[in-house]
Amino acid sequence: MALGKIKADTLEHSTAGSIATNYVVEGTAKAWNFFDGSAGTIAYADSFNSSTLTDIGTGNYKYAFTNNMSNANFSFGGAAIIDETTFGLLSGTEIAGSHARSTSSSGGFWTTNTASVNSSANANSISTQIFGDLA
Amino acid sequence: MQTPQFQGTHLFDRLCWAKENLDGVQSDYRVVYEDSVDECAKILVPDPNWMACALQGGILPPVQVYWELAKDEAKPDFVKHTRGHLLHNTKPVEAMTEEQAIEYLIMKDCPQHVWRDWDSGNKPKLVICRKEQLPATREWRNAWKISEELATDETVAA
Repeated sequence: MALGKIKADTLEHSTAGSIATNYVVEGTAKAWNFFDGSAGTIAYADSFNSSTLTDIGTGNYKYAFTNNMSNANFSFGGAAIIDETTFGLLSGTEIAGSHARSTSSSGGFWTTNTASVNSSANANSISTQIFGDLA
Repeated sequence: MQTPQFQGTHLFDRLCWAKENLDGVQSDYRVVYEDSVDECAKILVPDPNWMACALQGGILPPVQVYWELAKDEAKPDFVKHTRGHLLHNTKPVEAMTEEQAIEYLIMKDCPQHVWRDWDSGNKPKLVICRKEQLPATREWRNAWKISEELATDETVAA
Protein backbone atom coordinates (compact mmCIF):
# COMPACT_ATOMS: atom_id res chain seq x y z
CA MET A 1 0.00 0.00 0.00
CA ALA A 2 1.51 3.32 -1.08
CA LEU A 3 0.51 5.39 1.94
CA GLY A 4 3.00 7.29 4.10
CA LYS A 5 3.55 6.13 7.68
CA ILE A 6 5.07 7.84 10.69
CA LYS A 7 5.97 5.61 13.60
CA ALA A 8 6.25 7.39 16.93
CA ASP A 9 5.41 6.77 20.55
CA THR A 10 5.16 10.45 21.50
CA LEU A 11 3.99 13.68 19.88
CA GLU A 12 5.67 16.80 21.30
CA HIS A 13 4.56 20.40 20.88
CA SER A 14 7.13 23.19 21.11
CA THR A 15 5.48 24.79 24.15
CA ALA A 16 2.30 22.91 25.07
CA GLY A 17 3.90 19.64 26.14
CA SER A 18 3.73 16.12 24.75
CA ILE A 19 1.26 13.31 24.40
CA ALA A 20 1.79 9.58 23.92
CA THR A 21 0.42 8.40 20.56
CA ASN A 22 -1.49 5.60 22.25
CA TYR A 23 -3.71 8.36 23.70
CA VAL A 24 -4.63 9.16 20.11
CA VAL A 25 -5.09 5.54 19.05
CA GLU A 26 -7.13 4.52 22.09
CA GLY A 27 -8.99 7.79 22.53
CA THR A 28 -10.20 8.24 18.97
CA ALA A 29 -13.83 7.49 18.12
CA LYS A 30 -14.01 4.15 16.31
CA ALA A 31 -17.41 4.74 14.74
CA TRP A 32 -19.94 7.55 14.41
CA ASN A 33 -23.11 8.32 12.53
CA PHE A 34 -25.83 10.89 11.99
CA PHE A 35 -29.38 10.34 10.70
CA ASP A 36 -33.00 11.41 10.82
CA GLY A 37 -34.84 8.74 12.79
CA SER A 38 -38.26 10.23 12.13
CA ALA A 39 -38.22 9.70 8.36
CA GLY A 40 -40.47 7.03 6.88
CA THR A 41 -37.45 5.26 5.45
CA ILE A 42 -34.44 6.11 7.57
CA ALA A 43 -30.85 6.21 6.26
CA TYR A 44 -27.51 7.49 7.49
CA ALA A 45 -26.78 11.02 6.28
CA ASP A 46 -23.14 10.35 7.11
CA SER A 47 -21.19 7.85 9.13
CA PHE A 48 -17.91 6.05 9.68
CA ASN A 49 -17.18 2.35 10.24
CA SER A 50 -20.81 1.34 9.80
CA SER A 51 -22.23 -1.34 7.53
CA THR A 52 -25.95 -1.04 8.21
CA LEU A 53 -28.55 0.86 10.18
CA THR A 54 -31.60 -1.19 11.16
CA ASP A 55 -34.98 0.31 11.94
CA ILE A 56 -36.23 -1.90 14.77
CA GLY A 57 -39.38 0.03 15.62
CA THR A 58 -40.55 3.34 17.03
CA GLY A 59 -37.49 5.13 18.40
CA ASN A 60 -35.47 1.92 18.28
CA TYR A 61 -32.44 1.48 16.04
CA LYS A 62 -29.51 -0.88 15.58
CA TYR A 63 -26.06 -0.09 14.20
CA ALA A 64 -23.49 -2.55 12.85
CA PHE A 65 -19.75 -2.10 12.42
CA THR A 66 -17.57 -2.83 9.41
CA ASN A 67 -14.49 -3.22 11.62
CA ASN A 68 -15.66 -5.08 14.73
CA MET A 69 -14.77 -3.89 18.20
CA SER A 70 -12.56 -6.23 20.25
CA ASN A 71 -15.54 -7.19 22.43
CA ALA A 72 -18.87 -5.78 23.55
CA ASN A 73 -17.36 -3.63 26.31
CA PHE A 74 -17.19 -0.44 24.30
CA SER A 75 -18.55 2.98 25.15
CA PHE A 76 -21.58 4.38 23.37
CA GLY A 77 -22.68 8.01 23.43
CA GLY A 78 -25.02 10.19 21.47
CA ALA A 79 -27.66 12.86 21.27
CA ALA A 80 -31.16 13.19 19.87
CA ILE A 81 -33.76 15.85 19.22
CA ILE A 82 -37.36 14.70 18.94
CA ASP A 83 -38.62 17.76 17.08
CA GLU A 84 -38.32 21.55 17.08
CA THR A 85 -39.74 21.89 20.58
CA THR A 86 -38.80 18.65 22.31
CA PHE A 87 -35.49 17.35 23.55
CA GLY A 88 -34.63 13.69 23.26
CA LEU A 89 -32.55 11.18 25.17
CA LEU A 90 -30.62 8.14 24.02
CA SER A 91 -30.51 4.85 25.88
CA GLY A 92 -28.01 2.18 24.86
CA THR A 93 -28.42 -1.55 25.19
CA GLU A 94 -28.07 -3.13 28.59
CA ILE A 95 -25.49 -5.64 29.79
CA ALA A 96 -28.10 -8.30 30.54
CA GLY A 97 -31.85 -8.50 30.58
CA SER A 98 -34.76 -8.44 28.21
CA HIS A 99 -33.24 -5.86 25.88
CA ALA A 100 -30.75 -7.35 23.44
CA ARG A 101 -27.22 -6.45 24.47
CA SER A 102 -24.44 -5.23 22.23
CA THR A 103 -21.95 -7.55 20.57
CA SER A 104 -18.55 -6.78 19.09
CA SER A 105 -20.26 -6.32 15.73
CA SER A 106 -23.40 -4.34 16.57
CA GLY A 107 -25.48 -2.58 19.17
CA GLY A 108 -28.87 -1.00 19.57
CA PHE A 109 -30.39 2.02 21.22
CA TRP A 110 -33.64 3.81 21.91
CA THR A 111 -34.56 7.46 21.61
CA THR A 112 -37.06 8.84 24.08
CA ASN A 113 -38.96 12.05 24.65
CA THR A 114 -37.78 13.93 27.76
CA ALA A 115 -41.42 14.43 28.72
CA SER A 116 -41.97 10.68 28.82
CA VAL A 117 -38.59 9.03 29.16
CA ASN A 118 -39.78 5.44 29.47
CA SER A 119 -41.52 5.44 26.10
CA SER A 120 -39.52 5.31 22.90
CA ALA A 121 -40.11 8.11 20.41
CA ASN A 122 -38.84 8.82 16.93
CA ALA A 123 -36.19 11.56 16.82
CA ASN A 124 -35.35 13.70 13.83
CA SER A 125 -31.67 14.32 14.58
CA ILE A 126 -29.71 11.42 16.02
CA SER A 127 -25.95 11.28 16.37
CA THR A 128 -23.93 8.54 18.04
CA GLN A 129 -20.27 7.85 18.74
CA ILE A 130 -18.46 4.67 19.73
CA PHE A 131 -15.21 4.57 21.70
CA GLY A 132 -13.21 1.50 22.60
CA ASP A 133 -10.75 -1.02 21.20
CA LEU A 134 -10.95 -2.41 17.69
CA ALA A 135 -10.64 -6.11 16.83
CA MET B 1 -9.88 5.40 -8.86
CA GLN B 2 -7.73 2.36 -8.29
CA THR B 3 -7.95 0.72 -4.87
CA PRO B 4 -4.54 0.34 -3.24
CA GLN B 5 -3.31 -3.18 -2.50
CA PHE B 6 -5.02 -3.51 0.87
CA GLN B 7 -4.50 -7.13 1.93
CA GLY B 8 -2.65 -6.95 5.25
CA THR B 9 -3.69 -3.33 5.88
CA HIS B 10 -5.82 -2.78 8.99
CA LEU B 11 -9.47 -2.59 7.95
CA PHE B 12 -9.92 0.67 9.89
CA ASP B 13 -7.16 2.26 7.78
CA ARG B 14 -8.92 1.08 4.63
CA LEU B 15 -12.14 2.71 5.82
CA CYS B 16 -10.21 5.95 6.40
CA TRP B 17 -8.93 5.76 2.82
CA ALA B 18 -12.43 5.10 1.51
CA LYS B 19 -13.92 7.98 3.50
CA GLU B 20 -11.37 10.32 1.98
CA ASN B 21 -11.52 9.05 -1.58
CA LEU B 22 -14.98 7.63 -2.31
CA ASP B 23 -18.37 9.33 -2.44
CA GLY B 24 -21.11 7.66 -0.43
CA VAL B 25 -23.74 5.70 -2.35
CA GLN B 26 -27.29 5.80 -0.97
CA SER B 27 -28.94 2.55 -2.00
CA ASP B 28 -32.66 2.41 -2.72
CA TYR B 29 -32.75 -1.20 -1.55
CA ARG B 30 -34.12 -2.13 1.84
CA VAL B 31 -34.24 -5.52 3.54
CA VAL B 32 -37.38 -6.18 5.54
CA TYR B 33 -37.21 -9.12 7.94
CA GLU B 34 -39.09 -10.62 10.85
CA ASP B 35 -37.07 -12.50 13.44
CA SER B 36 -39.87 -12.92 15.97
CA VAL B 37 -43.59 -13.43 15.52
CA ASP B 38 -44.17 -11.17 18.52
CA GLU B 39 -42.28 -8.20 17.09
CA CYS B 40 -42.78 -5.85 14.18
CA ALA B 41 -40.80 -6.09 10.95
CA LYS B 42 -37.26 -4.72 11.00
CA ILE B 43 -35.83 -2.67 8.13
CA LEU B 44 -32.15 -3.09 7.30
CA VAL B 45 -30.65 -0.03 5.58
CA PRO B 46 -27.23 -0.15 3.84
CA ASP B 47 -24.68 2.40 4.98
CA PRO B 48 -23.73 4.74 2.08
CA ASN B 49 -19.99 4.65 2.82
CA TRP B 50 -20.03 0.87 3.17
CA MET B 51 -21.89 0.60 -0.16
CA ALA B 52 -19.23 2.76 -1.81
CA CYS B 53 -16.57 0.33 -0.51
CA ALA B 54 -18.53 -2.67 -1.79
CA LEU B 55 -18.94 -1.20 -5.27
CA GLN B 56 -15.29 -0.12 -5.37
CA GLY B 57 -13.89 -3.55 -4.45
CA GLY B 58 -10.65 -4.53 -2.76
CA ILE B 59 -11.58 -3.01 0.62
CA LEU B 60 -14.00 -5.24 2.53
CA PRO B 61 -13.19 -8.69 3.92
CA PRO B 62 -15.27 -11.72 2.86
CA VAL B 63 -18.48 -12.07 4.88
CA GLN B 64 -17.26 -15.43 6.20
CA VAL B 65 -14.72 -13.54 8.32
CA TYR B 66 -17.57 -12.02 10.33
CA TRP B 67 -19.09 -15.46 10.84
CA GLU B 68 -15.78 -16.72 12.23
CA LEU B 69 -15.59 -13.81 14.67
CA ALA B 70 -19.20 -14.38 15.71
CA LYS B 71 -18.40 -18.03 16.42
CA ASP B 72 -15.50 -16.96 18.64
CA GLU B 73 -17.70 -14.50 20.49
CA ALA B 74 -20.35 -17.14 21.13
CA LYS B 75 -17.91 -19.28 23.11
CA PRO B 76 -18.54 -19.16 26.88
CA ASP B 77 -14.92 -18.29 27.67
CA PHE B 78 -14.75 -15.40 25.17
CA VAL B 79 -13.06 -12.30 26.57
CA LYS B 80 -11.91 -10.39 23.49
CA HIS B 81 -11.20 -11.17 19.86
CA THR B 82 -7.87 -12.85 19.20
CA ARG B 83 -8.52 -13.43 15.51
CA GLY B 84 -9.19 -9.82 14.50
CA HIS B 85 -6.35 -10.31 12.01
CA LEU B 86 -8.88 -12.14 9.83
CA LEU B 87 -10.48 -8.76 9.11
CA HIS B 88 -7.16 -7.27 8.05
CA ASN B 89 -5.22 -10.14 6.47
CA THR B 90 -7.86 -12.07 4.53
CA LYS B 91 -7.88 -11.21 0.84
CA PRO B 92 -10.50 -8.44 0.29
CA VAL B 93 -13.50 -9.18 -1.90
CA GLU B 94 -13.62 -7.87 -5.45
CA ALA B 95 -16.09 -5.18 -6.55
CA MET B 96 -19.70 -6.21 -6.05
CA THR B 97 -22.86 -5.17 -7.81
CA GLU B 98 -25.39 -3.38 -5.63
CA GLU B 99 -27.48 -6.56 -5.53
CA GLN B 100 -24.51 -8.68 -4.47
CA ALA B 101 -23.72 -6.11 -1.80
CA ILE B 102 -27.25 -6.42 -0.41
CA GLU B 103 -26.86 -10.21 -0.23
CA TYR B 104 -23.56 -9.72 1.61
CA LEU B 105 -25.21 -7.36 4.12
CA ILE B 106 -28.06 -9.80 4.73
CA MET B 107 -25.53 -12.52 5.56
CA LYS B 108 -23.54 -10.11 7.72
CA ASP B 109 -26.13 -8.16 9.68
CA CYS B 110 -29.42 -10.12 9.63
CA PRO B 111 -29.85 -12.95 12.12
CA GLN B 112 -28.73 -16.22 10.51
CA HIS B 113 -31.94 -18.02 11.47
CA VAL B 114 -33.82 -15.52 9.32
CA TRP B 115 -31.86 -15.71 6.09
CA ARG B 116 -30.82 -19.37 6.18
CA ASP B 117 -34.44 -20.52 5.78
CA TRP B 118 -36.10 -17.29 4.71
CA ASP B 119 -38.68 -19.06 2.52
CA SER B 120 -39.81 -21.79 4.91
CA GLY B 121 -43.04 -21.47 6.82
CA ASN B 122 -46.32 -19.92 5.77
CA LYS B 123 -44.91 -16.61 4.54
CA PRO B 124 -41.53 -15.03 3.83
CA LYS B 125 -39.46 -13.89 6.79
CA LEU B 126 -37.28 -11.69 4.63
CA VAL B 127 -37.99 -9.48 1.63
CA ILE B 128 -35.71 -7.24 -0.42
CA CYS B 129 -37.58 -4.22 -1.71
CA ARG B 130 -37.16 -0.65 -2.86
CA LYS B 131 -37.58 2.06 -0.26
CA GLU B 132 -40.58 3.40 -2.20
CA GLN B 133 -42.39 0.16 -1.37
CA LEU B 134 -42.28 0.91 2.35
CA PRO B 135 -44.76 3.17 4.17
CA ALA B 136 -43.90 6.84 3.63
CA THR B 137 -44.34 7.76 7.30
CA ARG B 138 -43.61 6.01 10.61
CA GLU B 139 -47.24 6.00 11.72
CA TRP B 140 -48.06 2.70 13.49
CA ARG B 141 -44.39 1.72 13.05
CA ASN B 142 -44.57 -0.95 15.75
CA ALA B 143 -47.34 -2.72 13.83
CA TRP B 144 -45.49 -3.06 10.51
CA LYS B 145 -45.41 -6.63 9.21
CA ILE B 146 -44.42 -8.26 5.93
CA SER B 147 -47.53 -8.53 3.80
CA GLU B 148 -49.42 -11.80 4.17
CA GLU B 149 -50.14 -11.60 0.46
CA LEU B 150 -46.53 -12.32 -0.48
CA ALA B 151 -45.98 -15.98 -1.34
CA THR B 152 -42.61 -17.66 -0.84
CA ASP B 153 -42.54 -18.83 -4.44
CA GLU B 154 -42.82 -15.33 -5.87
CA THR B 155 -40.00 -13.01 -6.78
CA VAL B 156 -40.74 -10.15 -4.44
CA ALA B 157 -37.67 -7.98 -4.91
CA ALA B 158 -37.91 -5.48 -7.71
